Amino acid sequence: MSRAQSPRPAGGPLGALFRAKRQIAVHTLKSVQRESKLKVAFVSVSALLLLIGIYGGARLAFRMLEIFGSELLGNAQLSLGDLVMARLLSTFALTLFVLLTFSNVLIAYATLFRSREMPYLVQSPIPVANLFLGRFYECVSFSSWATAFLGGPILLAYGMEAGAPLSFYPALVAFYVPFVVIPGAIGCMVTLFAMRHVDKLRGRWVPLGVLAVAVGLGMFRSFRSRFETPDLSDPESIQTILELLTTTQSPFLPSQWLAQGVLATATGNLGEAVFMFLLLASNAALLLWLAVLAAERFFPVGWSALMAADEQRPPGEAKGILTRLEGLMGFLPEPYRSLVIKDLRLFWREPSQWSQFLLFFGIMAVYLANLGQTQNVASLDPRTWQAWGTLLNLTASMLVLASLTTRFIYPLISLEGRRIWILGLSPVTMGQIVAQKFWLSVATTSVFTVGITVLSAVKLDLAPLPFALSVLAVVATTFALSGLAVGLGSLYPNFEEDNPSRVVSGLGGTLNFLLSLAYIVGVTAGLGVVLLWHNLEARLGTDSFPWVVAGVLIWTLGLTFVACRVPLRLGLKHLQSIEL
Amino acid sequence: MIKTQGLTKRFGDKIAVNGLELDIPEGEFFCFLGPNGAGKTTTIKMLTGLIRPTAGTAQVGPYDVVENPVGAKTLLGYIPDHPFLYDKLTGREFMAFVAGLYRVPKDRFEALCEPLLETFELTAVADQLTENFSHGMRQKLSFASCFLHEPKAVVVDEPWVGLDPKNIRAVKNYLRRKTENEGLTILMSTHSLSIAEEVADRVGIIHRGRLLQVGTVDEVKKLAQSPGSLEDVFLELTRQAEEEGALA
Repeated sequence: MSRAQSPRPAGGPLGALFRAKRQIAVHTLKSVQRESKLKVAFVSVSALLLLIGIYGGARLAFRMLEIFGSELLGNAQLSLGDLVMARLLSTFALTLFVLLTFSNVLIAYATLFRSREMPYLVQSPIPVANLFLGRFYECVSFSSWATAFLGGPILLAYGMEAGAPLSFYPALVAFYVPFVVIPGAIGCMVTLFAMRHVDKLRGRWVPLGVLAVAVGLGMFRSFRSRFETPDLSDPESIQTILELLTTTQSPFLPSQWLAQGVLATATGNLGEAVFMFLLLASNAALLLWLAVLAAERFFPVGWSALMAADEQRPPGEAKGILTRLEGLMGFLPEPYRSLVIKDLRLFWREPSQWSQFLLFFGIMAVYLANLGQTQNVASLDPRTWQAWGTLLNLTASMLVLASLTTRFIYPLISLEGRRIWILGLSPVTMGQIVAQKFWLSVATTSVFTVGITVLSAVKLDLAPLPFALSVLAVVATTFALSGLAVGLGSLYPNFEEDNPSRVVSGLGGTLNFLLSLAYIVGVTAGLGVVLLWHNLEARLGTDSFPWVVAGVLIWTLGLTFVACRVPLRLGLKHLQSIEL
Repeated sequence: MIKTQGLTKRFGDKIAVNGLELDIPEGEFFCFLGPNGAGKTTTIKMLTGLIRPTAGTAQVGPYDVVENPVGAKTLLGYIPDHPFLYDKLTGREFMAFVAGLYRVPKDRFEALCEPLLETFELTAVADQLTENFSHGMRQKLSFASCFLHEPKAVVVDEPWVGLDPKNIRAVKNYLRRKTENEGLTILMSTHSLSIAEEVADRVGIIHRGRLLQVGTVDEVKKLAQSPGSLEDVFLELTRQAEEEGALA
């Protein structure tokens, strides 16, 4: 047998890490060839359509903004589009900055402290600074690729609409890299500091959680009072909007440096663009250096403390929430009870799981707090406006549900991991396991989604029929998206990966989210027809409302049945066929 | 080569390792014996820098594992019971990765990689992704990669999991040769008392975080009231410790 050429060892620990990661990426890409062609084609085409859709939508929005501005200002020299664009870009960048900082705190925990490779790397002779830099690169890449993917077409559309020079497009990449390093470094420092004090934090999670919620609510109330929505149909309110958006344009915010730099590049203002880039790059370098220092100081102690904490039984567990939950599950027959309790325990004991779940809670709290704040922007008749409001609320609830099922339910089967043989050998059928995951998903997610829908319907003062239809649509969606998530999770399990975020970021997770979106589009389109039928009927001059309701009901239930049943069957068949 | 002084690790109220005193000279094959939960793995984790001692010190060669972890780890090789491998790397790529981590010069890597793969019978599968490896093959790759940087001391945690009898013998002989011919120091934690009896220069019996006995196999055997095999002595010593603990 011919002896293969040994790969060249990289120059040092950091080089070896990067080289290994590159090789892993290459092998992972190659492994896509072994995936189902249909799945790969569907995901690729859907992703492309999504990008084109975002690009088209953004381009239309920029054009409308320009027209809107010209109408308001007439032949004035000042373009309102430019004014609003500067502020919108700042707001967009600030939102991105805050989201990236939060997600980096969580991803840093998973990457630096919970990754399966970390014990191997920690026992290797890698200086902490190198180890941290290797993981930091992964952390930042992981947290920022989605925003680059979704934000790219928007900025591309802006560049095309504003007639930006060619240099604008590579400059976007140049600005984005130091920009994402800043929240990455801040997030990592927060995590490192928290892990350094993990010993002192133990047993204090409840007061800390209460404090965090109180601070969050306080901040929200403070911001909300400043951001009371003005009447958008009144041209006089433009000044108020511009002033409100100025809040996001503090010169001390990295998001503002990014926004100003991008705008300067688009308008060919090279001096300001270079200045903003250097401002971003120097601050990114400084924060990265501080993060390395923090890693050298806090990581070894934090790592050891966390490893030691893992050796100890959680204090007060006997009286804990889990035990109380276990008590509440008494009505469930075995083996479902044991399986549900096991899933809840694993969820509760994995901070990267429940912390992200809390983020969803935060988003929903903001959403609920803002219900009823929307105003009739287009001077529509109240019934039409209410119908649009209902539809938008429903879509928002369903999108939250799609995110919940993709992030938390889809990985459930994969998280059985290498231990799947325990279930495989036990007298529990795969059908029972899949059914348990499905009903667990329906039971937990419906609490939120049905709750939101009922609350929003009450706030919008909906008539009985739209009320009932809204609730029905959300219940159907809960079943459909749970079926999709559990079914596809069973069809494309990844038993090698312990990190649920990574399980989701694979092809199967992407497919699940895209199919969930397709289902939501299908259901909301049907519902939209019902809710807006009165207007349509006036134009069409028919009297077919009951038939339309019946037709939409059949459409929704049929779609739900297919979305639920088909993936569950395929997933179960796959699980039954694999050799454990 | 491996030295601990008053090495202690507490997990909350529980003392996992209690004032451990070990001195393993260069070229010695030392077997660390003890029942489950005795403190063997915690000791190994402290030596390899995975956790920090609560008190006391641990040294590998001249380096304190807390004060100079990189120096200590450079001299050390570690083979865990469940080795970590990157699933999406081939065997050869993993070897190159490890060589990079330990800063093995390119010419040295080229000289060592293939012979090690051959020694551990991995040449035929070295270009396959490790995700396709059996547990035994993963364990053997872990062994092969451990010796790439020519460590002065190796810590082995229950290495026989997943290996067939032929491979157990091969690994055992390889380790024994390394100590005898090259002066490698080995600290091996194992439950396999027959193997310990066969290969160890000295054994240490640890129970409830305390070192009960240290000595050559013959010396330890003589300490028991009714000398027999090492297994008999081990059971007697740990039972005595249990009884003393219960009385206390």
